[in-house]
Amino acid sequence: MIPKSIADEFDQCIKCGLCLATCPVCKELLLEKFTPRGKIQLARYYSQGELDLSDHYRDIFAKCLLCGACVTTCPSGVDLNKVFVGMREEIAGKKGLHPGMEEVVRSLLLNYNISDEDNAERGGWRDFLKDLPDHMYQKDRAEVVYFVGCVASFFPMAQTIPQNLVRILESADVDFTILAGEEWCCGFPLIGAGVPGKAREMMEHNLGKVRELGAKMVVFSCPSCHRTWQEYYDTDLGLSHSTQFIERLIGDGVIRLGTVNSTVTYHDPCDLGRNGGVYDAPRQILKSIPGLTLVELENNRAQSVCCGGGGNLEMADSGLSGTVAQKKIEEIQRTGAKTVVTSCQQCVRTIKGRARRQKIDLNVCDITDLVLQALSKD
Amino acid sequence: MVSTSLTDEFRSIVGNEWFLDTPEDLATYSYDGFLLEFRPDAVIIPENTDEISKIMRVANREKLNIIPRGAGTNITGTSVARKGGIIMAFHRMNKILEIDPGNMCAVVQPGVVNAELQKEVARYVLMYPPDPASMFVSTIGGNVALNAAGPRGVKYGTTKDYLLGLEVVLPSGEVIKTGGKTFKNVSGYDLTRLMCGSEGTLGIFTEVTVRLVPLPPAKATLQGIFSDLDDAAKTVPAIIGSGIVPTTLELIDRVVLDVIRDYGGAEFSREAEALLLIEVDGEEGLVEAQGERIEKFCRESGAIEVQRASSPEEAERVWQARRTAFGAVARVRPNCIVEDATVPVKRLPDIIRKIVELADKYRLKIGVLAHAGDGNLHPLIMTDLRDKEEMARVDKALEEMYEATIAMGGTLSGEHGIGIAKDRFMTMEFSQSAIDLMRGIKRVFDPNNILNPGSFL
Repeated sequence: MIPKSIADEFDQCIKCGLCLATCPVCKELLLEKFTPRGKIQLARYYSQGELDLSDHYRDIFAKCLLCGACVTTCPSGVDLNKVFVGMREEIAGKKGLHPGMEEVVRSLLLNYNISDEDNAERGGWRDFLKDLPDHMYQKDRAEVVYFVGCVASFFPMAQTIPQNLVRILESADVDFTILAGEEWCCGFPLIGAGVPGKAREMMEHNLGKVRELGAKMVVFSCPSCHRTWQEYYDTDLGLSHSTQFIERLIGDGVIRLGTVNSTVTYHDPCDLGRNGGVYDAPRQILKSIPGLTLVELENNRAQSVCCGGGGNLEMADSGLSGTVAQKKIEEIQRTGAKTVVTSCQQCVRTIKGRARRQKIDLNVCDITDLVLQALSKD
Repeated sequence: MVSTSLTDEFRSIVGNEWFLDTPEDLATYSYDGFLLEFRPDAVIIPENTDEISKIMRVANREKLNIIPRGAGTNITGTSVARKGGIIMAFHRMNKILEIDPGNMCAVVQPGVVNAELQKEVARYVLMYPPDPASMFVSTIGGNVALNAAGPRGVKYGTTKDYLLGLEVVLPSGEVIKTGGKTFKNVSGYDLTRLMCGSEGTLGIFTEVTVRLVPLPPAKATLQGIFSDLDDAAKTVPAIIGSGIVPTTLELIDRVVLDVIRDYGGAEFSREAEALLLIEVDGEEGLVEAQGERIEKFCRESGAIEVQRASSPEEAERVWQARRTAFGAVARVRPNCIVEDATVPVKRLPDIIRKIVELADKYRLKIGVLAHAGDGNLHPLIMTDLRDKEEMARVDKALEEMYEATIAMGGTLSGEHGIGIAKDRFMTMEFSQSAIDLMRGIKRVFDPNNILNPGSFL
């Protein structure tokens, strides 16, 4: 049965429909059942015993990016994400996993990562780095742990992110380490698949490993790992997204950035911006690069529209994820900038992947690409 | 339930995927912004006029109810299947067909979202004035059906003032055109305006021609805080009577201000009994001068604090309180009934006093939010539908409020419509012969009573 804390949320819905204005999914799918308001009502009907869970229910709740745009828009302050995640859990428990998510859950339970590879391969991105130090960024003790995340560890398109970030941290003499094969998935995809209970083991493992190293802080380049640690890991460790960490290094004068003559726009990742409250750090970094001009997107900061890569949607309905990405690319193109910068490996993958498939000439880069480029010019 | 053979017939018109009858679809088309819900028998989503015409022929032949629904944001239960039937939704008819700056008009399909139209016409430095609070979601078709308006109504009026022409599918399936692109048109009965506000009972709009106006280059936003509700209410006719026509003149009373403050929406002086939010638009110099005069009016009427926004960001902050009002109020009690009583603007202080008196008499929590500049009140009754005894008191208070409203020369609804929310009060405002006339009109258009039956008539 739906817990009372979730019922309290949908009881607050006044059915005004204002959430329809910002939901990227319902703009594509049109029908009321796919709108945030529709899903909230479906949760209520189920909870009141008026409707039974069905495969159709599961499909409806899977078609959501968990991007939080509706949460920001709701005038009644309903935490829609909480209801959506809660319903995914209820549905997975009663009706089983969404077929599109079975594979990733299987892989996570087997390999502790979202790819099909052995978790020992997690540090494979280092193979492409020149002048690798002897410790290969894997130390017995360190002040800071860099939690790389599954996507940046295993997907070639995103591997430049950890490659960049270790260079940046090195140049600032930060005492850091990675966990390599001892890093397990943060648990976020399991929460999205409706099986948060299965994430518990991973959370405990990760926390234990970080503690063993005597670290005081964990740095993330993945906003979703960062958010999951903040929301679900019970810890007093310092948790910092790489943009916040780099901003501090710049502010403290530890690193200095040289000129990059370019005009760029910036895409706020949902889990960093709207769901994590970090808007200024990436903008401050961009501002501190001489020669760089930032043109904001029409919908920026809390109004930022999801790239299409959130909420496990890619696994449930890759076509829909692609159409949302297409809208994002069109919004980027309207700024006139030829480069979009973001600070999330999943956003980079989604936007770059769509642009490539559609043969759209767009330069998609992670903020660490720019920082590294500016560092080398100093 | 729609029979299998009829389901097949409808599917052959719109295609399989656009005729819906799963439990999840029926449930999610059982509501709009009003409290009461009714499961329809099916949902149909046509793509064009021709399909709608075919659907109506079948529905008329079979005497099946059809209930048109835009975005389902109305708060009077105008788009629910009170007597069963099929919901017709316009998600697929969402194209702006033409923006014609030379003729200062636009032609759109009914499913176009109000704010989308606003955004597109702004490129031509034009504006479509009606701005209901739901504008980022609600559709032009729905706006026409409800004759919607919003804060800008004080200066710019309502949807009917911007409606030039319609293409309409009648319940019989016949297609008619009314009006056109001309501002002036006095040929025959004004069928265009008859359709406007007809709440889906006369015909289905498939093309809407709307009038546009120049987008004003500047605006001034002011906020006046009063320690006496009466002072604030009296300031409204004083401003209007002085020859200034504000774009917007909103009033928020203490009950709502307290709720907004508790919600963390905005901060106000503890002495605040009422807040006026005033906006003027036009040429820069004029707006500046009018802003100064309004500031003076507020101070002379006893405002304890007057703030004139000096930047768009500051104006946005001033609006913040008003924007959070509905949501903040919604969290106070399980339900909130939004009323729409409207009086001639000079009677505003009287009706507000009456509402305060009724809240006290019937021990109810009622806040007042008003588009005060046009006498359009939104009393917000914070209540609990499950509490029968309290609901009986709510009903009595509403009845007395509407009696007073009508006695002051006002109306049951300024902009939300009647729907199933206020049909029981119709005899207060209209004589039996007037109601008979309306029913007669309905019969001429819809002899089988299949279009949104059970709505206000």
